[in-house]
Amino acid sequence: MLKKITRIFRKDAKIATRDAMLIYIVLIPVLLAVGILFFAPGVTDSAIKFAMLENDTEEHIDYMEQYIQVELFDSESELERRVSKRDDVVGLVPRGNGYEIVVEGNEDESVIDSAKTMNSLYELGATRENTTAEILSFEKTVPPLKTMLANMLILIVIMLAGMIISLGIVEEKSDNTINAINVTPVSQNNFIIGKSMLGVVVAMVSIIASLVIMGYSDINWLMIILVGVTSMILTFVIGFIQGLGSSDVIEAAAGVKLVMVPIIGSIAGYELLSDKWQWTMYWSPFYWAYKANNMILSKTADWGTILICLVAVTVISMLIYLIYMPKIRKGLS
Amino acid sequence: MKLLSTYLKEMKIASRGFYFYIEIFIAVLLLAVLLFVVEENPDSKFEEYLYFDMPQEVYEYMMEKDIASGKVRDGEVKELTMKPISFDVTNKDTGEVLSYDYTEEKKVDVKTIEKINTDTGLIKTTAYIFDNEEDAVRMSMSEGSIAATTTMNEIGELSYRYFQQGYETERFSNILYVLHTFSADEVNAQLDQQVIRSLGASERMNNREQVVPVFVVFAGSLMGFFIIMSYIYLDKDEGVIKAFAVTPSAVWKYLLSKSFVIITTVIISSSILVIPILKLKPDYLIFYIFLIITSFGFSALGLLVSSFFDSISKAFGVLYSIMIVLMLPGFSYYISSFDPLWIRFLPTYPVLQGFKGILLGQTDMVYVGSISLAFLLAGALLLSIANMRFKKSLTI
Repeated sequence: MLKKITRIFRKDAKIATRDAMLIYIVLIPVLLAVGILFFAPGVTDSAIKFAMLENDTEEHIDYMEQYIQVELFDSESELERRVSKRDDVVGLVPRGNGYEIVVEGNEDESVIDSAKTMNSLYELGATRENTTAEILSFEKTVPPLKTMLANMLILIVIMLAGMIISLGIVEEKSDNTINAINVTPVSQNNFIIGKSMLGVVVAMVSIIASLVIMGYSDINWLMIILVGVTSMILTFVIGFIQGLGSSDVIEAAAGVKLVMVPIIGSIAGYELLSDKWQWTMYWSPFYWAYKANNMILSKTADWGTILICLVAVTVISMLIYLIYMPKIRKGLS
Repeated sequence: MKLLSTYLKEMKIASRGFYFYIEIFIAVLLLAVLLFVVEENPDSKFEEYLYFDMPQEVYEYMMEKDIASGKVRDGEVKELTMKPISFDVTNKDTGEVLSYDYTEEKKVDVKTIEKINTDTGLIKTTAYIFDNEEDAVRMSMSEGSIAATTTMNEIGELSYRYFQQGYETERFSNILYVLHTFSADEVNAQLDQQVIRSLGASERMNNREQVVPVFVVFAGSLMGFFIIMSYIYLDKDEGVIKAFAVTPSAVWKYLLSKSFVIITTVIISSSILVIPILKLKPDYLIFYIFLIITSFGFSALGLLVSSFFDSISKAFGVLYSIMIVLMLPGFSYYISSFDPLWIRFLPTYPVLQGFKGILLGQTDMVYVGSISLAFLLAGALLLSIANMRFKKSLTI
């Protein structure tokens, strides 16, 4: 049995390598991981920016650059154009003996308060040397946004694995090889497992490589692999349902878009809903997978909670599989 | 006429397919989520853990003063659970390291105060007030929010200890230092003298409205790029393009009709979301013109890419890479501190900004006009290159 499964896996891997699809699919999450690694420090900076004039005093510009991101402009009209753009950039221009704060008019109160405070502190001559504050640090190096992006990347990879299976089956259908399986010694179960293996292997390799690149090498790998593998059950199911249910690539593509709804919904629900409304997302296995990964990546996971998440992902995925099993079997017949 | 009849025929075929209805279903679903689940102006989820090391009467006086100013209000008492944890804290000024080790879980009831945005009445920050610094620090470590201790000495002077996570930027730490160099009264007096000049914008997208430009660009236009490729490969399998070689109709008309099908789908799905959420705010004429032109640009890109590959499997890697790269401006849209120069050169960046202005009814005509012109020219160029490639091979 194992030999037959491996043969199907090898055949799929060979086809995918020939189309360079396999390389792309492993490579793209890795490239995204590199991207996250590089731009993550930028996203933890202060949300407010100052637009200042190039002909302002060097001392004033240097002072502000210690506290706020500063963009310089050669004229006041250029500065105003920048302030008018969609983000919260506040202008600071010399007027008389002081400075005028230029705002677009639709900024949040906190942005204007921050700008007023920074300018007041400059005018008062406040410097770090005179402070009555001290700062202590837990010396964490991974910002939560990076964890969120890494977690989203994991779900993208899992979705991608489903797509590989789905597109593979659509192509098998168009080549009429699905029917041919029924007259070979390969059983339907072996065929399902064999077809799924490529997605699982590719996804796990991508996930592990991406996490190592992003600096998560000291996480609990057993936990992440367990969550990954259980999430893959769902991937098999989705891939097969989509692949067998789609008569052509358009329908498979539409199916992918449909799967993105619960994935995005689960992430948004976990991140945005208050604690008392989190239960509304319990139906989604993606929610449990995202929650578990979030805890593992932020190194706050305990086995009790992770096991609850694993059971939830597995049970919901198996339920979906059992509901769709007759359809999958019919599609393979 | 041939173009029109080809378009109508393509629309008829598309309307029989699953994809067309999925587009509409997703737009309706998102609309329902936005209307019934997403709050227009939600409270902030930002939290901080505070400890006031001072006589109770001084703390109460300070709180009453803040509450009277309307900037703060009393919240509920909440039960917090602290997990077993061990960690080190490094003093950034002295280098001294403090070690904490907690082996037991602990539950504490803490008072909360809510810091209020006086303009909107929404909660800016929820602060948990602890009875001791250790618990505040322990929560800060496990939950990832900042902790702070305010200490008053014998002669009534205040000093502050902030507990940061460690990944904050140097600039952010510098602000915390410089904030505590003058007394609150001195800073407040200086704040009153600040001169603010507004450029006149008053509208700001609420939480619900902010989703709409992202949907229009990514789920609409950009998805059109993906779908047009799928259409082409489906037609290739069915030998449609070869049939064009023996008809009087030109290949470019076929390609353009495919773009029109995508544009029609995008117009329908975008309208389902835009009209109920934004109501009369947008400049609709400009919105639809901009939507048509940008969708045309993205679908022309899809046509060109599809001309290089024989099947969706072979095109998949390039397709996927382009889509991921073009989605990156979405991060910049939501995270304003992340706005590097390079991201502004990706075509989805100006399109997002353009749609945001149009949907808010604050269209920058020069900006939108120049982006439209660029997309129109680029789209026409990409389409003509795709046409040349398809004509040459006759095997889409």
